[in-house]
Amino acid sequence: MKTANQHPLEKIFESRIAIIDGAMGTTIRTYGMKEADIRGERFKDSTKDLLNNGDLFSLTQPKMICDIHRRFLEAGADIIETNTFGATSITQSEFFVDDPREQGGRKDPEFYQKIIDDPMLNNLAWEINQQSARQCREWADRVANETGRQRFVAGAIGPLTVSLSNSPDADDAGFRVVTFDQVKNAYKQQVRALIAGGSDLLLVETIFDSLNAKAALVAIREVFDQDGLTASNKELPVMISAAVGRGGETLISAQTTEAFWNAVQHVKPLSVGLNCSLGPDLMYPFLDELATKADVAISCYPNAGLPNPLSETGFDLGPQDMARYLGDFARAGLINIAGGCCGNTPEHIAAIAKALEGQPPRQLARQIERAA
Amino acid sequence: MSVSATEPTTKPLRLSGSQPFTQQAGVFIMIGERTNVAGSPKFAKLVKEGKYEEAVSIARQQVENGANVLDICMDEGMIDGVAAMTRYLQLLASEPEVAKVPFMIDSSKWEVIEAGLKCLQGKGIVNSISLKEGEEKFRQNAATVLKYGAAVVVMAFDEQGQAATYEEKIRICERAHRILVDEVGFPPEDIIFDPNILTVATGMEEHNNYAVDFINATRWIKANLPHAKVSGGVSNISFSFRGNNKVREAMHSAFLYHAIAAGLDMGIVNAGILEVYEEIDPELKVLVEDVLLNRRPDATERLVEFGESLKHVGSVVSEKKAEEWRNGTVEERLSHALVKGIDTYIELDAEEARVKLGRPLLVIEGPLMDGMGVVGDLFGAGKMFLPQVVKSARVMKKAVAHLTPFMEAEKAEMAASGQVVKAQGKILLATVKGDVHDIGKNIVGVVLACNNYEVIDMGVMVSSEKILERAKAEKVDLIGLSGLITPSLDEMVHVAREMERQGFKLPLLIGGATTSRRHTAIKIAPHYSEPVVHILDASRAVPVTTSLLSDEGKPAFVAQHRTEYEALRAAHSAPRQTVISLEAARARRTPIAWRAEDLPTPAFTGVRVLDNFPLAILREYIDWSPLFHAWGLKGVYPRILEHEQQGEQARQIFADANTLLDRIIEKNLITARGVYGFFPASAVGDDVALYLDDTRETELDRFHFLRQQANKEGSEPCRSLADFIAPKETGLADHIGAFAVTTGIGLKELCDRFRADNDDYNAIMAEAVADRLAEAFAECLHKRVRDEWGYGLKEGLTPADLIQEKYRGIRPAAGYPACPDHTEKGTLWRLLDVQANTGMLITESFAMWPGSSVSGLYFAHPESRYFSLGKIDRDQVADYHERKGMSVAEVQRWLGQNLNYDPE
Repeated sequence: MKTANQHPLEKIFESRIAIIDGAMGTTIRTYGMKEADIRGERFKDSTKDLLNNGDLFSLTQPKMICDIHRRFLEAGADIIETNTFGATSITQSEFFVDDPREQGGRKDPEFYQKIIDDPMLNNLAWEINQQSARQCREWADRVANETGRQRFVAGAIGPLTVSLSNSPDADDAGFRVVTFDQVKNAYKQQVRALIAGGSDLLLVETIFDSLNAKAALVAIREVFDQDGLTASNKELPVMISAAVGRGGETLISAQTTEAFWNAVQHVKPLSVGLNCSLGPDLMYPFLDELATKADVAISCYPNAGLPNPLSETGFDLGPQDMARYLGDFARAGLINIAGGCCGNTPEHIAAIAKALEGQPPRQLARQIERAA
Repeated sequence: MSVSATEPTTKPLRLSGSQPFTQQAGVFIMIGERTNVAGSPKFAKLVKEGKYEEAVSIARQQVENGANVLDICMDEGMIDGVAAMTRYLQLLASEPEVAKVPFMIDSSKWEVIEAGLKCLQGKGIVNSISLKEGEEKFRQNAATVLKYGAAVVVMAFDEQGQAATYEEKIRICERAHRILVDEVGFPPEDIIFDPNILTVATGMEEHNNYAVDFINATRWIKANLPHAKVSGGVSNISFSFRGNNKVREAMHSAFLYHAIAAGLDMGIVNAGILEVYEEIDPELKVLVEDVLLNRRPDATERLVEFGESLKHVGSVVSEKKAEEWRNGTVEERLSHALVKGIDTYIELDAEEARVKLGRPLLVIEGPLMDGMGVVGDLFGAGKMFLPQVVKSARVMKKAVAHLTPFMEAEKAEMAASGQVVKAQGKILLATVKGDVHDIGKNIVGVVLACNNYEVIDMGVMVSSEKILERAKAEKVDLIGLSGLITPSLDEMVHVAREMERQGFKLPLLIGGATTSRRHTAIKIAPHYSEPVVHILDASRAVPVTTSLLSDEGKPAFVAQHRTEYEALRAAHSAPRQTVISLEAARARRTPIAWRAEDLPTPAFTGVRVLDNFPLAILREYIDWSPLFHAWGLKGVYPRILEHEQQGEQARQIFADANTLLDRIIEKNLITARGVYGFFPASAVGDDVALYLDDTRETELDRFHFLRQQANKEGSEPCRSLADFIAPKETGLADHIGAFAVTTGIGLKELCDRFRADNDDYNAIMAEAVADRLAEAFAECLHKRVRDEWGYGLKEGLTPADLIQEKYRGIRPAAGYPACPDHTEKGTLWRLLDVQANTGMLITESFAMWPGSSVSGLYFAHPESRYFSLGKIDRDQVADYHERKGMSVAEVQRWLGQNLNYDPE
């Protein structure tokens, strides 16, 4: 559609596999933070537990979060993700608003309209996104200057705690707790804040529900158009990554990999791929399928195997295991971007980066055409 | 990628629902029209009356009848289009068989189209946009369609109106194509032109060429507008023949035939009714084509005339019904309905099952739970997806709802007669403190609610105190905890501890992505005295809950559950044995100095059959002790007969067994049959090779043995059965024996006769006695084999000595400690042709049939002895896999008990 200048990442894709970072949550846990640490002064009177609202750490423990970003960058990540997986008014509401079900009520569009309109949640979501993007920007640029290698900040847009495809009501399969427009509006705010904070890319990731993802992609398009980025040719590249189960279908909305690609292809993303949910071994067949169908860069950042509460990291695979699997994917010509999701620490990313050094990237149809 | 003139082929249209849809070259895409209020009065009526469930079944029929895409239209004065479109699409999203196909959002109102787009997870089609209201509006709408990622139908319509002629059609389509591709950036392969199929044979001369104009316009578009597709509403063509289905169907078929030849990609058709072109009555076909192709001025009159004679014939092709499954048994039908999520006949079938089985509860616990079990298995195997499971649960709910009044009546009856009535189960679900993920838990809630449990869902981030407080207040029967993230696991341990401290007596269920059976058994269950059960997924929630809340089912379930979890804990805490490498173990094989004089030559080689072996002889060889064990008495024969407490009962059993045995022998009620043989053999590594004859040139078959790998103290060897056969490299001529015997022939008939007389005691006794006879047969045959091998003749042992195995040589069996791999029986069966010689079978799981059977191998070397394989390591599993040609996973499955590692 446009003949925009080639993005510097696309330049990288021609010569090597780009590295994306690992799991924020897993790494945070190694710092031994307690409830009081995430609350800090600001949230000390909050009524609900906040410890697992990891995005808040970007506000209350910026030093730790920046340290993690730095470690991933130094491990060799070309792309780091903002700590904003749950930074929407909808997801934040889970931590700050009483669950109506406790009082026999229910969550429905009326409930979520109040959430979308809530100034406190809106301001908080904005702040987390903007702040996290700034922190990433600062460290990405610092490490880039030190190493002479450009680094990129991907604004991370997560799947939400609600589903547009699924009814929680046994008696009404047509019921939905939220509307498409509510989800879209929550995402639009996140997208604007991520851009304001200095993100280079927008990453819609861990897609359980393709319709939620669609709302995020529509939100991105509308922000680009309404905020003048389209007109000034300043659209950010979009990356898309789904979370599929053992049958290769999105976890909540049960859409198969190729069907998913057909549904998002119009966005002309910089990359499409799979993350979370599975370890690399179980992810392989679906990644292979995607790599056959999609003519854009392929990203892959699997979990470190399956959850294993009895292991130290909570997951099966160690750095060398991940390095071996992703090395195999590279040799099979499947990937352009590689990294890790849950269970992957900076050590994992360092091992992956090392294993992929000098490995040729998957050839894009574009490049093949050009060569022909 | 850019579109260029050098692009060799037309890009196919790619769409998706939950499944991908890719247009195939030369294959016409059928768009189902029955879910269009304008095309189907029945559908319109259902929507207007709010009967959406029935409206959903119309969509399902369309898909079953082969529609590739569903056209959904709610444009009707009495219908709120936005609300109806939204609700219907959201219902279809929960209907997996329908949701797999792409949808076409069909409306003349833009707000209805946009409402529809907001419900599609896949890539659908918008029907339609046009230049009717000018370029600006056209561009804007196209950009919106692109934003949502759908393909688009463009009507050949502009500011001046609808294009009727060929020239108008191609002019408008070309203009629209240019705007879409060059200005909006619309993917050209996603543009579908509808150049207007208009009604012919109206009696107006200017309408006569409409079909030809459409067909020619189609040809032009396909040739001149790269990648563009063409579609049309086919039924318009025959509108003037309303009420004459025969003519209409013939017109549709013939029109499609010609339009497809010109390049028509898709059409809105009733997928259930479509006459095959070749099968149109030849006379009718000519008349119809005269009209369509405008071949003669009087074509219309001729067709009308002919059509009159055909009126009232009705539809040629009735709606095809893919409903062969209705012919199955009621159990099969219930299972099918659950697996496929079809609720059309569920009440009928539930009623039939209720009448058949007598009690409503038996229907639920029988066929319905079995069906849900199949659903659970398919889901576990990745062959079903969550929405389908939820759909199945909904069908289950309907069945249960039908049965409920009968259960109520039954309860009322029981209450009236003074029996205690147990209330329906109440279940509390919560995502634990610190965790906000609950989509999985919600699904569990839906599935349980569908099975008539009262579900109290406390939501997410619920503290232990709140959970337990509510559980007490509501007097729930069961608590289910969910959590997705790792820290939730600790919180679950906390809840379990609190439940113990507060003296709760309810079972606790654990679920969520990071939870596991092992973790539950090892980390959570030890903190709470009541059952703590891990639920793998929503489909497993119902069977577990049903068992835990049923008075009859609970004890057995809990007992089995505790055993399993205990085993998991034991496996976890047991220190791993130290094993040595296979190489080192082989170096420590049983030390045997091979001498020719230790290797007797058998009286024959090959196979011999023993038919109708005298039972009176076998009686002498019976080891009676296990008979008492079978009846639950512990002790050794004959001392047990004099035992202080058990003696009297033991004597009774012994007397009854012998009385029965007398009868069996006297009347020949069962038959003993066996087969055995000797084979030249030598050890090759840990295998034993068997040869066709004494020349030892042709290898007949091979037994694969395993070797102990435990690091034993001192000089204790690491044994393998292969150690007891002379290695090939010694050059010595050794032999191995093999046998299979049964005393189970006729047993089933005997037991059936006892049971028919309500004599269960003797039925069980007959089985126990037959088992003893089979063992006796093996012992007796071993004696004969030793004699035929020569060395047995000098034994001079009494039967009692034989039972205590005081003789030389062993007869180990596959599946027993020295050779735990049951699959070795397969080799034995081939070798002795057991099935042909005795009628004994081995099942898929290598169990022998009939039950009272024994098989095994004979080793003659004086050093041969029984041992237990114990634990083996990965290196031996890999080696065995190589030797045996069985996959590693299969080896691990058969030898699960012997692995010194966790294969996962």
